[in-house]
Order: sequence, then C-alpha cells, then structure tokens
Amino acid sequence: MTTTVPPTATLAARAVDASKIYGSGETAVRALDEIAVDFGRAQYTAIMGPSGSGKSTLLHCLAGLDRLTGGKVFLGDLDISTLSEKELTKVRRDRIGFVFQTYNLIPTLTALENITLPAALAGRSEEQQWVDQIIDTVRLRDRLSHRPSELSGGQQQRVAVARALASRPEVIFADEPTGNLDSRASGEILDFMRRAVTEFHQTIVMVTHDPKAASYADRVVFLADGRIVDELREPNPDAILDKMRELGD
Amino acid sequence: MWKVTRRGLAANKLRFVLTAVAVVLGVAFVSGTLVLTATIGKTFDDLFTNIYKNTDAVVRAQQRLSSDFGTGERPNVPQSLLDAVRQAPGVAQAEGDVQIAYAQVVGKDGKAVGNPGNGPPTLGFGYHPSSQLSVFHLVEGRGPTSDDEVAIDRNTADAAKLSVGDPVRILTTAAPKTYHLTGIVKFGDANSLVGASATLFTIPRAQELANAPGQYSQISVKAAPGVSQTQLQNNIQKSLASQELGQYQVLTGKQITKENQDALQKQLSFFNVALLIFALISLVVGSVIIYNTFSIVVAQRTREMALLRAIGASQRQVMGQVFGESVVIGLLASAVGVASGVLLAIGLKAAMSAIGFDLPSTGVVVRPVAIIAGLLVGFVVTVLSAVVPARQAARVPPVAALRDVAIERPPRRGVRLAIGGGGMLIGIGLLFFGLFANPGNAIAYVGLGAALVFVGAFVLGPLFARALSLVIAAPLPKIKGMTGTLARQNAARNPKRTATTATALLIGVALVGFITIFAASAKATISSAVDQQLGTDFIVQGPGNFAPGIGLSPKLAEQIAALPEVDASTGLRVGDVGINNSRTTVNSVDPVAGAKLFNLGDVAGSLRSLTPDGIGVSKRKADDHHWKLGDTIPVTFVKTGVQTLKVQFIYSKNTFGDYYISLASYEKNFTDQLDSSVFVNLKPGVSPDQGRQAIESVTKSYPNAKVFDDAQFKADREKQINGFVALVYLLLFLALFIALIGIANTLALSITERTRELGLLRAVGMSRSQVRSAIRWESVIISLLGTINGLAIGLLFGWSVVRALKDQGFNSFAIAPGQLLVVVIILAVASVGAAIFPARRAAKLDVLRAISTE
Repeated sequence: MTTTVPPTATLAARAVDASKIYGSGETAVRALDEIAVDFGRAQYTAIMGPSGSGKSTLLHCLAGLDRLTGGKVFLGDLDISTLSEKELTKVRRDRIGFVFQTYNLIPTLTALENITLPAALAGRSEEQQWVDQIIDTVRLRDRLSHRPSELSGGQQQRVAVARALASRPEVIFADEPTGNLDSRASGEILDFMRRAVTEFHQTIVMVTHDPKAASYADRVVFLADGRIVDELREPNPDAILDKMRELGD
Repeated sequence: MWKVTRRGLAANKLRFVLTAVAVVLGVAFVSGTLVLTATIGKTFDDLFTNIYKNTDAVVRAQQRLSSDFGTGERPNVPQSLLDAVRQAPGVAQAEGDVQIAYAQVVGKDGKAVGNPGNGPPTLGFGYHPSSQLSVFHLVEGRGPTSDDEVAIDRNTADAAKLSVGDPVRILTTAAPKTYHLTGIVKFGDANSLVGASATLFTIPRAQELANAPGQYSQISVKAAPGVSQTQLQNNIQKSLASQELGQYQVLTGKQITKENQDALQKQLSFFNVALLIFALISLVVGSVIIYNTFSIVVAQRTREMALLRAIGASQRQVMGQVFGESVVIGLLASAVGVASGVLLAIGLKAAMSAIGFDLPSTGVVVRPVAIIAGLLVGFVVTVLSAVVPARQAARVPPVAALRDVAIERPPRRGVRLAIGGGGMLIGIGLLFFGLFANPGNAIAYVGLGAALVFVGAFVLGPLFARALSLVIAAPLPKIKGMTGTLARQNAARNPKRTATTATALLIGVALVGFITIFAASAKATISSAVDQQLGTDFIVQGPGNFAPGIGLSPKLAEQIAALPEVDASTGLRVGDVGINNSRTTVNSVDPVAGAKLFNLGDVAGSLRSLTPDGIGVSKRKADDHHWKLGDTIPVTFVKTGVQTLKVQFIYSKNTFGDYYISLASYEKNFTDQLDSSVFVNLKPGVSPDQGRQAIESVTKSYPNAKVFDDAQFKADREKQINGFVALVYLLLFLALFIALIGIANTLALSITERTRELGLLRAVGMSRSQVRSAIRWESVIISLLGTINGLAIGLLFGWSVVRALKDQGFNSFAIAPGQLLVVVIILAVASVGAAIFPARRAAKLDVLRAISTE
C-alpha cells in the first residue's frame, strides 16, 4: 500500500434532521423521520431494520440518489442536499462508491472496464498500482477480460466491490450487497469489504437484513418507522438477532 | 386476450406512435398520388369536355407516327378539304384550326416568358373572328385582324406585364417581330391552358408561322340544328369519298373528347406509376421498421408472454395478441395516412399552380380507389410485417418466464447465410441479365434483381452487423472515451436489431447512391462528349432543351453564319421519325459546316457527303440492323410519309444521337423549322471575346437564345441533370425520413430495455450529457452502417446500369465521391437528430427508479 487515508476525527457522512415524506396530508408516509446519524471515517457501518423501516431510503439519500424533504445530508463537510443534479452526478462519480444487490455491472463492458468505469466517465485513469492491488485483493486477475455474463454471481459482486474501491471514494454505499449470493460468496464479499476498511481505511455504509453480514461491521444502526431506535458497536450475530427480534418481528 | 392487447398498446404510446408514423407516411404517399392524379385527370377531362363543347366533328389526317401516349402525329390538311367539309350536308360551320408548336412571348423586361423546354409549352393558334368553335374567348380588347396583331392569354399577359394596346415581341420560326397586342383571352374559366401560353394570330399569319400556308392542323365542325354528331360524321365521310377518304379521319365531338381524355389518362398513369414506385419504396422501408419494432417488442416481452403461456394462454392467443396490436396500428395508421394523403394532394396541387401549371379550379377528387388502396396497402403491410414476430412470440416456451429475459435468439447462421447469400447472388444475376442480355422486359428483371439484392442485404445483415458496427465505430472509444465505448458496444450488442434498423436506411441510401453515381456518370459522359465530339467555340442554345418543335428561328443561324468572325456554323434541328417501326429522334445539321464542327468518329463515309436523300447512322445502329454504306432505309416522316434514304455515313460517337440528316432533307420532310441550338467556330485569329461580341450582337434580338462556350454549355447540361436528380432526391427523401424514424424507434425501444443499466451508469457518475452523447453516437453508428452498405449497393447498381448503357454512348463511369461523402455526412447528422428524443428520454431517467426497476 502506497498511500493510506489516516483515520481522522472528522466524519465521512452525516444526516441532520433528515426527513423524507411521501405524499401529503392524511395519507403522508414518513419514510425518514428527522433522523440524525453520523458515519465516522474508516468505519464500517451496517444499517438494519425491518422492511419499510426506511433503511434503503436513508442510504439513497446519503448517497445523493434521492432527495430529502427536510433536513440535510453531508458528505464530509459538503452539504449535498443543496447540490444540483449535475453537481450530484460529479459527487457520485468522484467521491462515492456503490454496490447494489444486483445488476451492478454494464453487460457490454469487460470486468476491467467495469472496474474503471467511474474514472473513465470522468475522463481520467486510475493509478495502475492501486487498481492492481484491488484486483488482487478481490482475486479477479484471470477474469479481467470477461464480460458480466461470463462471470458467476459472486464474481460479479466482486467486480462491483472492486469498482467501488477503485476510485477511492470517501464513502462506499452498499445496498444489500450479498442479498443475492449464497453463503460462501457472501462470506467472500463481506470479507473483502471488511479488509477494505481495515487495510485501506475505506468508509463503508451498508444496508442489510442479514445479521451475519451486519456482524462484519464496526457498528450497527437500527431503524424502525423512519427513526433510529438503537445501535450496537463491535456487534456479533447473536446480539444483532436479539435486537432485530426486539424491534419488530 | 383483447384486453391484454389494448393494454399493451396503451402502455407504450410512444412506440405505437412511432410505428404508426412509418405506415402513415407511406400510405399518405400512395393515397396522395392517387388523389392527385385523379384530380388532375378530372381537371383535364373537364377541360377537354369544355374545349370540344361546341365541336360536333373533327376532320384530320391519318396518323403517320404513333406516340406512346396515343394521340399520334399527323400531317396538315389542305384548304380544299376545308372547302369540301363545308359543302357536306348538316354542317353549320367548319373552321380550319392552326396550331403553332412554338410561339414565345417576350415580356416588358425583354425576357422570354415561360420555359417551354422544361415546363408547359408556348403555343400559337389561328384566331377565328366569328367562330363558335374557338376554345378561347376574349375578355379584353378584340381579336387580331391584321397580320401584325395578336391576342394572348391572361396568364401570359400578366407574367409579361403587358396590357391591350402594348407592342409585344413574339419569338417564332420567323425572325423576331413586334406585334400589337389587341386582346386578352381566357381559356374557358381558366387564365391559361393549364399553364401553356397561347398567342393568337390571324389565320394566314398563323399558317405562315406554322410553315403551312393554306393548310390546317385539323378541321372542326359544328352541326346544324337537329343533326346528330353521328349523322354529321356520316355526312362528312360520304362527301369526302372523292377526296381520298383513306387519307383522312372523321371523328365525332364525343370521340375526339374521349381520345384526348384517354391520351391524357395514359400520360397520367405513367406519372402515377412513377410516383407509386416511390410510394412503394417508402412503404417497404416502413414495413422493415414495423417488422423491427414488433421483433424488439416480442423480445422484450418474452417474459410476459411466457407468463401468459404458463398460466394457460395458448400459442394462438399469444400470437393473436401481437397480431391484434398490428391490426390496430395498421387500421389507425392507414386511416390517418389516407387523410394525410388527401391533404398532401391538395398541397401538391397548390404547389403545381405556384410553379406555373395553372390547373382550373376543380375540387380535389377523392375516388374510392384512393381510399381503399391506401387502407389496404397500409393494413396489409403492417399485419404482414408483424407475422414473423408474432410467430416468434407464440413459440416462447412457458419456462422462459422462470429464467432471466433471453433478449434475442442467436441468428441461425447457416440458414441465414444460405438464404441471404443466395438471394443476393440471384438478385445480382437477374440485374445483370436484365441489363446486359437485352431480354424482352428488361425493367422487370432489373427491378426484381434489385429487390432481391435488398432482401439479401436484409437477411445477411444480422450476421455482419456486429463486426461491421465494431469496425465502423473503432475510432470512437479513442475520441469519446467511455461514452464512445458504450455507444460502440450498444450498437453491436443486438446485431439483428441494429441490422434491421440499418437496412431500412440502406434501401433509401442505395437508391440515392445509384442516382448520384448515374447522374455523375451522365455529366462526365456529356462533358467528355462535348470535348471530344463538339469542340466548337460557341454554342447558341435555344429554349427547347433539344425537344423537337421548340427552338430558335433559323434566321438566327443565317445571321450568325454571315458574321465575318465566323468560320463555320450550323443550326441543329431535332425531329421525330419512324425507323424500323419504332419512333426515334433524328438530328439535322448542315453537312459541310457540321463536318468542320463535329468529330463523330467517322467509320465509313462522311458527314460532309450527306445529300438530301441520305442519312448518317451510328455504328451501333448499323451493326444492329446490318446496314452498310449505300444501303437504303425507309424512314417515316409526319409531313412526307415514308421516304427511302441512303446510308451515306456511319460514325462511332453516338452520345448525341443515332441518326443525322442534312438540313436540306429536314426542310423538305418536316413542317416546323426550329434550331435547337447553333454551333459556331470562329475564324483563326478571332479571339473568344471578339467572337462572343459578334454573336451576341445577333442574339440580342433573340431573348430565347443563350450564348455558351463549351464550359458554359457543359454547366447548362449539368444543371438539367441536377434538376432531375433533385426531383428524385425529393421523392426518396421520404424513404430516408422513415428510416430515420426507424432509428429513433429502435433507440427508444432499446432504452426502455436498458433502464436498469442506464440507472446504474447514472448512479456511478455518468452525467446526463454523457448519456445523451452515448445514444447520439449509437444512432450515428447505426446510420453509418446503413449508409455505407447502402452506398456499396448503390455503387453496384450504378456501375452495372452505366455499363449497360455503354453502347448508347454512355462511356464514362464517375462515382462522385464528394457527393456521396456529403450523403454520408448528412445522414450521420440527421441520425443525431433522430436520437434527440430517445437521448432526452434516457437522460431524464430517474436514477433511483431506474436502478430499482425490475
């Protein structure tokens, strides 16, 4: 590793009184209800909660894919809730990484092209050494010229993680990244993400409903009815499961 | 299932509209053509009925030369015939009609009014002072009563800015002369005879200008009260028995009306067929697009259809759903198309009036056939285009619902290669057979061959579309980075879709390419022919564009020949004759001057030796008919009948015609004496400027003459060709436009399919303008694929047609790379335009919704 992002006291992302209301009047639905939450740098945070708790909405708003109806979200010190669509696109391209549950890759591009896609869109190229390091970390060296259709589901998600890491974003937002994978492939992906935080000091915010996945995180935030109701530090699967039971089921 | 069909249409309004537009335009063209020709037909039917309103019988000579359009050409009839007809019982009035093929009015500004070479003719007529038979009626002033008086039609008077009492110069076969304008006439209700200008002279003057003193073109007869047209016809026939009846024909007013109407219908049907061919091309292009749309839709809905099948819908029901959609689109679009066609016809009629074809005010005639043909063609084309996709839809196995969407089935390479390659080879074979083997109906072979080449291209397309797209777009990633890479890959990802979309464009481009190459070759041929065969210093070009019966007064050539600066000069006259039972054109020049002026590539004898009973023939015709020097050929002339001419000259360079006779022979055998042009060589030592000054001193009193040097003459000829090419481009424009709509349609459909992918791209940082750019470039790649392949086919067509015309003097093949490049660029730019709408839709996608779309 050539450069390291030193852990600092500053925050990677935060939400201040973040609200998201769908509809109005009697039928209004509060997906996010004045949420305040911080995500520290080089920290791995999992967001959990029952279906409809607002966890995906929170992630989307934090990542600049969706807009709040009230409050603010910050990326570092930048208030992204005031940015124009054009500025947001740039922020997503240069400062944020994404891993979705499925359809993470462009089918017409090779694995390598997918990995370097954000940089290519920005018209720059990533530092070769860094890209090599990521590729080796996610063990894709022999799959670089393959297209997504020639890769297994696990391999596809590894490419997605590599893409998210490649541009050294301030935060990677992952939305159920293991939701479609079997347990072995899940384990691999979660492992890579854990290593990205530990070794490369990458900040990751991940939505999941899987206690085992959440147990890889440094911290778990629990959401219910659009509010943060609890959190765990250094969690283990059993403790997470207990919390989840308390919350809803 | 009907419900599912209806929902399917409602859910995809855009697709519905775009598909329908392709049908609407084609159908509008078909219906519009039929309505326009029916309207023009009706106009002329009324016109002729009006013209012969008071004519109960017509007496004229038998035809000597048949024309393609039925009216035929006849010699004049003598005064004695008129006298005889007047003696016949039951005749109330009989008048000799005199028509002058060329009489052009000079306007107040000194310019000749009208363009008889390329537009409506400028005719002259004899004026009967007290005739009920005249088709003209005075609206101002009076008719001509002395030889220096004329009346002209309202339209021409307005164009020439002349009013009664003004002096007016008229250009005819005689030297230009100034007349007094005594009256303005109308033609029935119309200001002119469908745009033709009419100058009315006294009868003797008209006869003189028609080179037929004491003769008439025909005799019109009005029956006495109580005498029927048939009785009148019989009476005249009986009284002419002594007058060599075999020479003459007596027709009733009804017959002559009908004959004229039929002849015009025949001309119109030719026009009709020509326009319908272009309409058909547009429809074929439209049907390729409809086919493509339904294919894509079926591919996209594989899952939905599989689900329907899984829950118990039969193959027939699934097929019926796709079929139902096509029926709805076909019916609605055809109906809209027919309505648009009527509007199109109204617009075209107005446009024709605007450019001088003054059609009398008849309402638009919409015959049932225009409606039925439009509806039927549109409906059948749409439904047939949907048959194959519908069958594909039905074959979707229910298990497909459980799998991820299989976008497109891989093409069956072997079958495609065999059918497409076979089609293309047979097509080329038929094309060559039609062009080179001189079979009976060559056009049918050529047309069928060309159609098969297109079918071959259509079938083969998907096999090569991927590789070709990648090659065409190879530089794009370097130029446009990731946007370029995405555009290139997207264009190549669905070869069948890309190929079919490109094929729609290919058809129009191939025809544009063919016409462009053909025209360029024609220009090159003329250019080299002018250089090699004429090599004259100046050409004085008349108004007729080398059409017989229009041209310069021979007086002009006489005056030029008399100039001290001129070494040799001759007028060129062109006339129609019959040789070996077919109508053809003969050129006529002064043999001595001609031999000095032209280089026709003498094979045997010489132009100089042509006598009044001799003829020069091209080597091609001599070979075809086994003529050799000294042989005699029977040649039919309208004026003098069959004359036996002796072959005195055989030449090889036949670009300007296959037959030459001497001016002396022309003067003996033709009525009209008009020079199409005058060719002039200057004496040694006379500079071009001096020469031009001298010639222009003569031509200044001939506003219908233009003085050209070789380069200007070539430019003038090129202008004629360009005018024709522009017209064909205009007609092919619709096919290209429909093909561009096809590109828009395909892109729009592809974008719907790539919603998720676009969402992902946007999420990871692709800007809206990058999304738009990628789609624009994809459009350009598809367009280039169609354009480049289309030009390759156009080149094949152009080359083979030009080669086939070689022995008709067509000896240059020119590709016009500059013009073809312009075509490529225009279509590439137009394809950017086609991409505007899909690109905007794609860029506007809501990222969050796109990535969460199933």
